[in-house]
Amino acid sequence: MQDYPRRDFLKHCGIGLGVVMTSNLWLNELLANPTKAVGDTLLANYFGFTKEQLKKLLEIGLSKGGEFAEMYFEYRISNNITYEEDIVKSASENIMLGVGTRVIKGSKFGYGYTSDLSFDKIKEAFIAAAAIADAPNSNKVANLNEKKIPNQFYSMQQPVSLASLEPKIDLIRRSYHSAKAYDSKIARVTSSIADEMQYILIVNSEGLIVSDVRPQVRLVVSATAEDGNTRNTGRGNAGGRVGLDFYEKIITPEQIGYQAAEEAVILLKAKDAPPGEMQVVLSKDESGVMIHEAVGHPLEADGAWKKTSIMWDKLGQLVANPIVTIYDDATIRDLRGTLNIDDEGVECNNVMLIEKGKLVGFLNDKLSAKILKHKENGHGRRQSYMHPPIPRMNNTVLAKGDSSPEEIIQSVKKGFYAVTYQGGMVSGTGKFTFSVNLGYMIENGRLTYPVKNATLIGTNIDILREIDMVGNDMGFFLGTCGKDGQSVPVTCGTPTLRINRMTVGGVA
Amino acid sequence: MKTDYKKLAEQIVEKSIKKGATEAQCSIYDGVRFSVDVREGEVEQLISAGSTSLSLKIIVDNKVSTASTSDLSSKTIDELIENSIKKAKFLSKDEFSALPELEKIDFNIDSLKLYNDSAEKVSPNEKTKLAIELEKICVANKKITRSTGAGFSNSYGTTYLANSKGFSNSYKSSSCYIGVGLQAGEGDNLYEDGYYDSARSFKGLLSIDVIAKKAVDRTTRMIGARKIHTQNVPVVLEPEMSAQMLLGFLVECLSGSNIYMKRSFLAGKIGETVSSDIITLVDDPLIPGGRASVPFDRDGVPARKKTIIEKGVLKSYFLDNYSAKKLGMKPNGPGPTNLMLLPGNKSQQEIIHSVNKGLLLCSTIGQGTVPTSGDLSKGAYGIWIENGQLTYPVNEVTISGNLGTILKNIAMVGNDPDPRSSFSAPTLLISEMTISGK
Repeated sequence: MQDYPRRDFLKHCGIGLGVVMTSNLWLNELLANPTKAVGDTLLANYFGFTKEQLKKLLEIGLSKGGEFAEMYFEYRISNNITYEEDIVKSASENIMLGVGTRVIKGSKFGYGYTSDLSFDKIKEAFIAAAAIADAPNSNKVANLNEKKIPNQFYSMQQPVSLASLEPKIDLIRRSYHSAKAYDSKIARVTSSIADEMQYILIVNSEGLIVSDVRPQVRLVVSATAEDGNTRNTGRGNAGGRVGLDFYEKIITPEQIGYQAAEEAVILLKAKDAPPGEMQVVLSKDESGVMIHEAVGHPLEADGAWKKTSIMWDKLGQLVANPIVTIYDDATIRDLRGTLNIDDEGVECNNVMLIEKGKLVGFLNDKLSAKILKHKENGHGRRQSYMHPPIPRMNNTVLAKGDSSPEEIIQSVKKGFYAVTYQGGMVSGTGKFTFSVNLGYMIENGRLTYPVKNATLIGTNIDILREIDMVGNDMGFFLGTCGKDGQSVPVTCGTPTLRINRMTVGGVA
Repeated sequence: MKTDYKKLAEQIVEKSIKKGATEAQCSIYDGVRFSVDVREGEVEQLISAGSTSLSLKIIVDNKVSTASTSDLSSKTIDELIENSIKKAKFLSKDEFSALPELEKIDFNIDSLKLYNDSAEKVSPNEKTKLAIELEKICVANKKITRSTGAGFSNSYGTTYLANSKGFSNSYKSSSCYIGVGLQAGEGDNLYEDGYYDSARSFKGLLSIDVIAKKAVDRTTRMIGARKIHTQNVPVVLEPEMSAQMLLGFLVECLSGSNIYMKRSFLAGKIGETVSSDIITLVDDPLIPGGRASVPFDRDGVPARKKTIIEKGVLKSYFLDNYSAKKLGMKPNGPGPTNLMLLPGNKSQQEIIHSVNKGLLLCSTIGQGTVPTSGDLSKGAYGIWIENGQLTYPVNEVTISGNLGTILKNIAMVGNDPDPRSSFSAPTLLISEMTISGK
């Protein structure tokens, strides 16, 4: 169902993720050598079509006077395994295969899709999309040229989706038992691993043919601690566009289980937050969600040309304290939100959004770049072939500053320290909330007692000015971002931050 | 030639058993969707497509593995079956993992009126015009700054389910939606709201005049909103809030899986008083034409009407086959479906009149619900009540409390349930919640 244009960020919205399937010939070869796939194999096969057929389909797309036609082919395998109550409780596998067709005319577009990859069905989907235009055909399809991906920003070593079941079960079992062993108060633990491998091919009437192969994995542990009648749940998670070795070299499953259990046990002693306005310190670990909601969404270019974002008319203006610099960099290696090319085939790069307090850029897709006359910057993303691309974030980061995290906490006489979140939400008008799962009170520069379930609320224009200390540390938060009914994996990063004044919703 | 999906689902079940599954279940959805989004009087996007998906549940000696696919080629399906059987063997034995025994559906599925073809008979052009007209009525109001877009969508399709216990059935269903989003206010101080309706049939939708009026009222009433001081006061929930915020959170706490995992404060509370005695909550999947009516659940357990809370006493959870077995209880079919908090006899005005100082809660923003503890905390928009009268709008505050306490603190139940969504509830008075502000 459609909803009003609120955007949200959820920490643990599990996307059903993939086991290896070999239903097409070209895939057999691909799966045998995923690294090579990035180069030529996929391009040589065009999802079973010849260049001539693809061109013919694009011509059908333009036949009603459309200015731009595009096909987005997708094959995705996803897997999910869950460990609960001392057993491997369930395993699932999901296959997604289909093509989305899009035709643009001016600022509007038509969209169709089909999971039946026959010429006739794609033609039908294109006829549905072409209906957006209503004029004689005047535009031509350029000659199709294969474009190679210039850079590879994710690890294709030991992709989790290509691994057998045993090592994956081993990972969730280890994280499960680590959480269980943390404390006798841990009553229940759920540990799951979700992985996927996505193969995409983009062909458009500008003559582009490009493909990408994208791995993704996330291990999530949820632990419930119980003490008498008090129960609380803590969570831990880690992953990205990485291979199995990530869980040896970067973070172990034991550490993820420990995180979840530790949070659950601390929450048992947590009190309700005292309500009201106060100084707030955001920890580096998960507070990137603030940057994502308060800054990222309002700087997506669809809100700029539609004038529905509070930032639409502020390009070039000072919108934040000059100690604040924010960018979105899809090319940081191996992160959950990292991409080589976006879902329109545009090369990804680092896009500066706010430089020393000044608004300097928006995240765009092809359509919004065209309307705003901005340079394309590779932020058109979609949930699947069933969804049209829209401007989205990838890895949104608030740049490091000068203050040490200790110094920031010590500077606060009485305030609130936010550590973990359930998520955040923002409306187009810039009003946002973050739901804090675990925080602490700060008194005289020291953390005193833990606090649970508080909501931080504000307006982005205000909060950007109220950020008055920026830490020299950095943490990244993995999330799933929802907008216009589409979910995509994202990361957001931030150092420790002090916000001079913010409303903390608590219980009196 | 159109595929016979009923037969296909049965064949897949049969094949799975032949290949080594102890039990098997297959469901297929085959449907069509249309949607048009308009803004500033022009079409912005038009989506039109058909899609099919298949899901499979394979059980081998009480070990369960599931799969789904949008690729219905027989090669892919065969491989999915084999993979799932192979995979199941790696998993742990779980005595509760078994399909439910076959239960007869003792009602006529057609009597549920899940499908209506009226929206299919309306041309894409007319649907587009309707959305444009809805937006036009709204932005004609001088207080509206701009529209964030209006839209119309409809979909229909058939769900097939077959399993190795001998279940094989299907139902066709349809739904329609029309709605609009608006902004109002001055400069950077804007408010966003809107209104929508959804129904099984085109004819069942509210008129665009009614939707436009509601959308404009809801958006403009927030103009000039202020922040208020932190305080504990009575809170009046509008019907939308009673349904979305209260029932939305409550159903999470009543889900069978949260109960057996002890991730709900309502675990183990059957037969206990969990709310004030003026509350009765009923779930009825069998309402003809109901937005969430459905004949059977994902495992083929037939739908039935059930009382969840009766005069404050907790009577049942939402139990699918697995969680019911885990809890030693009986599965009670699909749920939540059409969930109704039964109306009382007070008008919203009477309820507001009874409040000396408090907040009429109009909308919320943010997650902030923890089923394990029942804690609730959200950003809030509302209208301040002073001496029983609505005064000025309020924003940038949060509202907090604990669901266990909130349910017991329901002091009045209105007579005005909002019929638009599958969760329906009237205006409610909560005797005390914390508002955090200045």
